[in-house]
Amino acid sequence: MMSAPTRIAEPDVNAPALVADGVTVRFGGLMALSGVSLEVGAASITGLVGPNGAGKSTLLGVLSGLLRPDAGHVGLRGQDVTAISAQGRARRGLARTFQQPELFMGLSVRDHLVLAYRARMERRRLWRDMFDPRSLVRTSPAENERVDGLLDVLKLTSVAKAPVAALPLGVLRLVEVGRALAGDPRVLLLDEPLSGLDMKASENLLSVFRRIVAQSDHQLSLVIVEHDVAAVLALSDTVVVLNFGECIAAGRPDEVRNDPAVRAAYLGDSEPVRRSGPETPLVGHGGQTSPGGVRT
Amino acid sequence: MLQFVIAGLVPGGIYAIASAGLVITYTSSGILNFAFGALAFFIARFYYFLHTQHGWAIVPAAVLSIGVAAPALGVLLYAVLFRHLRLSSPMIKVVATVGLLVAVPSIATLLFGNQPIPQAPGLAPQPVHVYRFLGVPVTLDQVIVYICVVLTVVVGALVLRYTEVGLKVRALVDSPAMTSLSGANPTTVSVCVWAVSIFFAGLAGVLAAPIIGLDPDQFTLLIAASFAAAVAARLRSLPIAVGVALLMGIATSLFQRYLPPASTWTSEIIDAVPFMVIALVLIYNLVRRGRVGEANAWGGALDRAITPQGESRLGGSTSNVIDVASLNFLGRYAGPLFLIVVAASLPLMLQGYWVGLAAEAFAYGVIFLSWTIATGEGGMLWLCQITFAGVGALTTAQLANNHGWPVLAAVVAGGAVALVMGVVVGFLSIRLGDLYVALVTLTFGLLMENLVFTLPSFVNQGLGLSLNRPSFATSNIAFAFVCLGAFALVALFIVNFRRSTTGLAVNAARWSEAGAKTSGISVVQMKVISGAIAAFIAGIGGGLLALAQTTFEPNEFATFAGVVWLAVLVTVGVRSNAAALVAGLVFVMLPALAQAYLPSWTGNLLPVFFGFGAIMVAKYPDGALAEQGRQFRRLLFRLTQGARDDRSFAGRATMTMAEVDPRDAAPQVAENVS
Repeated sequence: MMSAPTRIAEPDVNAPALVADGVTVRFGGLMALSGVSLEVGAASITGLVGPNGAGKSTLLGVLSGLLRPDAGHVGLRGQDVTAISAQGRARRGLARTFQQPELFMGLSVRDHLVLAYRARMERRRLWRDMFDPRSLVRTSPAENERVDGLLDVLKLTSVAKAPVAALPLGVLRLVEVGRALAGDPRVLLLDEPLSGLDMKASENLLSVFRRIVAQSDHQLSLVIVEHDVAAVLALSDTVVVLNFGECIAAGRPDEVRNDPAVRAAYLGDSEPVRRSGPETPLVGHGGQTSPGGVRT
Repeated sequence: MLQFVIAGLVPGGIYAIASAGLVITYTSSGILNFAFGALAFFIARFYYFLHTQHGWAIVPAAVLSIGVAAPALGVLLYAVLFRHLRLSSPMIKVVATVGLLVAVPSIATLLFGNQPIPQAPGLAPQPVHVYRFLGVPVTLDQVIVYICVVLTVVVGALVLRYTEVGLKVRALVDSPAMTSLSGANPTTVSVCVWAVSIFFAGLAGVLAAPIIGLDPDQFTLLIAASFAAAVAARLRSLPIAVGVALLMGIATSLFQRYLPPASTWTSEIIDAVPFMVIALVLIYNLVRRGRVGEANAWGGALDRAITPQGESRLGGSTSNVIDVASLNFLGRYAGPLFLIVVAASLPLMLQGYWVGLAAEAFAYGVIFLSWTIATGEGGMLWLCQITFAGVGALTTAQLANNHGWPVLAAVVAGGAVALVMGVVVGFLSIRLGDLYVALVTLTFGLLMENLVFTLPSFVNQGLGLSLNRPSFATSNIAFAFVCLGAFALVALFIVNFRRSTTGLAVNAARWSEAGAKTSGISVVQMKVISGAIAAFIAGIGGGLLALAQTTFEPNEFATFAGVVWLAVLVTVGVRSNAAALVAGLVFVMLPALAQAYLPSWTGNLLPVFFGFGAIMVAKYPDGALAEQGRQFRRLLFRLTQGARDDRSFAGRATMTMAEVDPRDAAPQVAENVS
């Protein structure tokens, strides 16, 4: 039973890139998300932050189609995609990465990017190529340009032919980003892309994200879930803060940084944090927040 | 009617006890024990051995077999096998139990003898006393079944709900890792659970023996019925499993009451009751669009976090992926090509009877390639490939004999019919998860075996349907090369399939469903493709096998014979084309050699050998041949490279890749960006 229709409706170019409207998710008696709404503009970077268990990854699951909400709607470029499967949304230009990389251990780095490109751009090859003895060598110039360009940008060229099973976590994160970008998406959801990376590697990957958004031909938008709040505040145009499944703040980074509800959620009480200067981050770089502490 | 309800509670009660054992084992260990029936048979046979063959009284025989031997067997199985499967993927666990299913009946035959026992006593003294309850005759054997069911349900519920042991079992169900961190020893709890589970198997076996005799196939069939109850309970709810099992027994009995006894359909409808239950459950789940999904059904977040990713997947370990990636063309294909050349020379070197066997072996090789696609590439365990082979053989025979089709065209048509069935079975089961694919395909095989393959026109009074080979290949040697040619064609297709975009997508769906879906790949479509192609290949192979044997006999395609086929293939290797050919030769030639040159009892050693081979998949997911190939390549590498480089072959590829550390890669990214 394929939920994705075979013909994809034309997107509304003036609509927001991604919209969540009143999304509610329950796991048994646990309310993981309660009427959460957000709007992601075209060519923007939206940060999604919140303490552990706030519902960030659940919201990404709903947005990407891996989880069905109990209530609410998801819109992608003007089209309601709530009932559309994850693969159907991917075909419409929604890509994502995972907190624990979800890679294909039997494939090489390049195969990941080639497959993701063909799954979106040359779908018929998924069916036809098994009967074509020249299928893998029959590559289009556009495919080569896209895949080789991404391998180059992410500095994965030297390991392009290596099976991902042999690669360390930091490289796997880059492969996931490469795979997500290979299909030329309009919205990219990043679930803790900096997790497991050291400070310098994190900064470099963030600069790659900035560059990709700035140079995208198709007004690529990013939604980034990250524990490193300082990094998210520095990167994002808009920040949404979740706590216990509810949206407690949304706005520009500087607005969110000083929001009392946000500070209470992170610090465990409503006492204002003693500030040493106007740019004091809510939490330190590279650390995870915990109630009552600045960094773990 | 009351008489039939009371009578129906007997098989229902036995289903209930068996399904309770299945559910308890699955919820506490994540293992769906396909060998439950075989283990039930083993204990029942031991009871018969003590009570009937050696004259022990009922009580000591029952105490020793059900009360001591069965729990001891559970503890032994846990210690030597299931303990090591704790972190394995669900499919590896299933294959290990399939190995037991193959090995245990043969071990029982070796230990207790192989005489057929159509009737065996139960726990009631002979002659069995008959009571009257509300005017209905009830035997003491039936009364004992009722008492056992009540005790199982009541004691089970009380222990689980109100005792410390029950609390620990329930904690273990939720998360073995957290249970361990809480101070409880999950090993002790697991040992107890396995002891109880095999106790239930033994009890169900001894209770069932008076009804079905002591035939391992009948036992496994009976327990397959209890799978239906377990599936209805989503493998987790003990009360639902017991309730559905009892209802199935009553329904069976009522069908006997109300359906015309003279009709041939009556017995087939009665046999089909468990399969109808499974079909209803599947349809219900599909309508609800619910994925039963075994991946998240067992253990908690911590358990999933500590489960190794990839290393234990069926038919593809990550270490093998790394090894293969480091090979050049010669290293990758020299071994398989050598094996195929040796196989091709066999018909030229052998004579007479043995050439005919070689043709059969090549036909089996084609059938085994269907698992190379479905399991080796698709990562699914289809347990009805023998049924698809039977459908292919049957269609070939029908079209060639009754409709005048050219015989090779009929073989291809047989493959096409199997393909259509493969698509239907795939769409019904794949959405529910890999474990359900194994269950549904097993059920489908049993359904076809009992409802279709038994039709009088196919059985032909036990003679089967005769077949004529194509006119250009009537001799054994010529037909052996026809089969080998078909094998080569299918193997080439698989080689290309792996390299194609389709193959990449199937591979992706196997390793990470979430990753595949969010890359725009339909996991269900890809798995259905691989399952349908596998069914087509099995159908073709079945047609060729029937032509090699010049007859179609439905008995040749019994579902549990197919489980032995799977055990043979898994022993050799499920991802390699050459392994499929070797498995075909092993399956046909070894029994023939044993029959010709060794004592007759050695024939029972082969299933034991294949069963243990399948169990070893837990250690070598790629199969013994692939593992030996790896060892051989490592040896060659050490001999040729060892003096210059002391790094091991296994570590070479990993280390080369690991040199690209994220700490190194990240600055490079920065340089590029800036």
